[in-house]
Amino acid sequence: MKMILSHPEKCVACHLCEGACSFRHEGAFVPAKTRIWVFDFIEEQLYGAVTCFHCADAPCLANCPTYAISRHPETGQVYVNEDRCIGCKMCLVACPFGVMGYHAEKRVAQNCDLCGGDPQCVKVCVYGALEYADVEPLEWAVRLEQLERPAAAS
Amino acid sequence: MPYGWVGQVLRIDLTAGRVTKEPLNMEWARQFIGGRGLGTKYLYEEIDPRCDPLGPDNKVIFATGPLTGTYAPTGGRYMVLCKSPLTDAIACSNSGGYWGPELKFAGYDMVILEGRAPQPVYIWVYNDQVEIRDASHVWGKTTDESEDILRAETDPQARIAGIGPAGENLCRVACVINDKSRAAGRSGVGAAMGAKNVKAIVVRGTGAVPIADPLGFSQVVFQALEVVNKSPTTAKALRGLGTASTVGFTNAVGILPTRNFQVGQFELANNVNGQTIAQTVLTRNKGCYSCPIGCARVTEIKGASKWQGKGEGPEYETIFGLGTDCGVGDLPAVLYANYLCNLLAMDTISAGGTIATAMELAERGYIPPEDLAELPFELRFGNPDAVIGCLELMAYRRGKFGNLLAEGGYRLAEHYGHPELFMGVKKQDFAAYDPRGAKGMGLGYATSNRGACHLRGYSMSQEWFAPPDKRSDPFSIEGKAALQKYVQDKAACEDSAGICTFSMFAVSHEQLCAMYNAATGERLSMDDWWLAGERIWNLERLFNLRAGLGRQDDTLPPRMLREPLTGGSVQGQVVELEPMLEEYYQVRGWDEEGHPRPETLARLGLA
Repeated sequence: MKMILSHPEKCVACHLCEGACSFRHEGAFVPAKTRIWVFDFIEEQLYGAVTCFHCADAPCLANCPTYAISRHPETGQVYVNEDRCIGCKMCLVACPFGVMGYHAEKRVAQNCDLCGGDPQCVKVCVYGALEYADVEPLEWAVRLEQLERPAAAS
Repeated sequence: MPYGWVGQVLRIDLTAGRVTKEPLNMEWARQFIGGRGLGTKYLYEEIDPRCDPLGPDNKVIFATGPLTGTYAPTGGRYMVLCKSPLTDAIACSNSGGYWGPELKFAGYDMVILEGRAPQPVYIWVYNDQVEIRDASHVWGKTTDESEDILRAETDPQARIAGIGPAGENLCRVACVINDKSRAAGRSGVGAAMGAKNVKAIVVRGTGAVPIADPLGFSQVVFQALEVVNKSPTTAKALRGLGTASTVGFTNAVGILPTRNFQVGQFELANNVNGQTIAQTVLTRNKGCYSCPIGCARVTEIKGASKWQGKGEGPEYETIFGLGTDCGVGDLPAVLYANYLCNLLAMDTISAGGTIATAMELAERGYIPPEDLAELPFELRFGNPDAVIGCLELMAYRRGKFGNLLAEGGYRLAEHYGHPELFMGVKKQDFAAYDPRGAKGMGLGYATSNRGACHLRGYSMSQEWFAPPDKRSDPFSIEGKAALQKYVQDKAACEDSAGICTFSMFAVSHEQLCAMYNAATGERLSMDDWWLAGERIWNLERLFNLRAGLGRQDDTLPPRMLREPLTGGSVQGQVVELEPMLEEYYQVRGWDEEGHPRPETLARLGLA
């Protein structure tokens, strides 16, 4: 499936992706409602963007009490059905990566929806730190292990 | 509902301890674009320009632009405005980082600090909750320490702009530092904040910056992003080597100011240029908010040097101020001095210029031996211990000499009876381009409203960096008046919009104006746009005239006017200022004394 891959070593912590994400989804610049996050520990020289990995065994999906989270049969992406979501935040708790978001006004969970196939964050990242890549989703534990060994991450 | 703006001003009366919120004056916002222009309008209307810059009647304004917080390329700037403690003219210092956007997300376009707090305070802004809090526990601490403490007691995602020991001690070259290493550097705005007893403004915001025409905005932004990403200046030089990429060039042509502008080439320039930084100290590149250039350098001193540390920098201007201008070519020492300036919150240009002035005064024997005897280092060019030692004396006003240094280079040189050895204009130190090798910069320094400054009118782009067919001969004075007016008005528009002037090496003003229109819903034509830039420049001039400045202050030190440069391609050049200045006043529509003529003011809507 196609999803957004982050290459933190190319990131400069400019947060352009957060702006682009919120602008696409909210029509305004409101990083508090972004679905991609830049962590910027400048002093530790540690920064990069993270967003939904659409895990093969998505814990958000497995833990949703109202079955509001599904995997799209064609694109393979994990998505939230807003009509079914009751805003209980179980998925936020379940996500090992902290990349399930919550829309405070709509009171629903939200994750990266790949902008319907035209991800704005990737488009705006002139540094090549974000890539819209064709990769198979991994199980969350495998992904976590990869992230903890940065050299092996792809 | 306003667009581009969030429509609200936060006003803090420190004397009374009162916080009020008021709607942004949209009529002024339309006339003065935002940020620098709009802040100047508020300052012009609200304070007496003759007031004591360190007294309670001065105000310190933190202003954002309509593009701040959006994804317009480099849309992350804010400005600090006040009457300058260094120049007694208008001060407007521009900074990037993350603080400005956060202020807008919290729901404010501007913060106005007025009066004076009875004891040290900081301001905590969490969306619509605003508190004036005791800051006695962070008073005296470096920017680094106080940011950590304030973040721990407010919000882990809070962004902080504040002062260090230099600002607290009213050092006239003190700056405001945000996000630990981004500086609203020039004109001593940190001292003005210190005089108000305000340590920091801590902000966390979760709101939105609305856009009038989202589709139109995204279209022009993506065009602009593309040109930034293709331009050799922004995508290669600045992204690749940071502003330090300039060192090699200015040194080669002979306009890299060295040893208090005595020469324009530095024998150790290769030790402190962009390549050396990339090879020896650079750990990562960094960008400010919404920046597609990424010129910031995260660095760490490695190896056996006696100077150790890590942080951000050095910028080109810092390499000059704390390096070449003081004759220091030891990169770890320059970098350490840079980190120290960030911790103590001092402008690296003016702190460096002050030290260079002191060094020349000392070498020429103008400082009595008893004043030098108290110093734990030898005050001479090329001595890094002297640079670092002076920075500490200056920030803490230690001893008689520290007290003098803290007054800035002009007052220091004047104290010892040789004001001609101060290299600057309106008591503010020059930036890192010797104007004898770029005459337009000479006129720009002389007429800059905030004192000597390269960013108020960066004619370097046309005089040295433009392709040959578009170049304005740097040694000629012909056409420099019109060129300066153009670059000055241009910079006024850029600063006011809330974007960084660096993106404008690639983005056109047509694109910037289109972004402004799409964001705000205004329909400014290009004529309106340029007129707004000119209006801002003239309003700053009016502020300065009312503050008591005039033609006599639009000048350069005798060294620039009479002592020819030696070495490089610039051999024998001086600045022929008078004819340029006369022509400049005409081009500006000002009289012989530099006052805007009534018809000029009427044309600009300033009458």
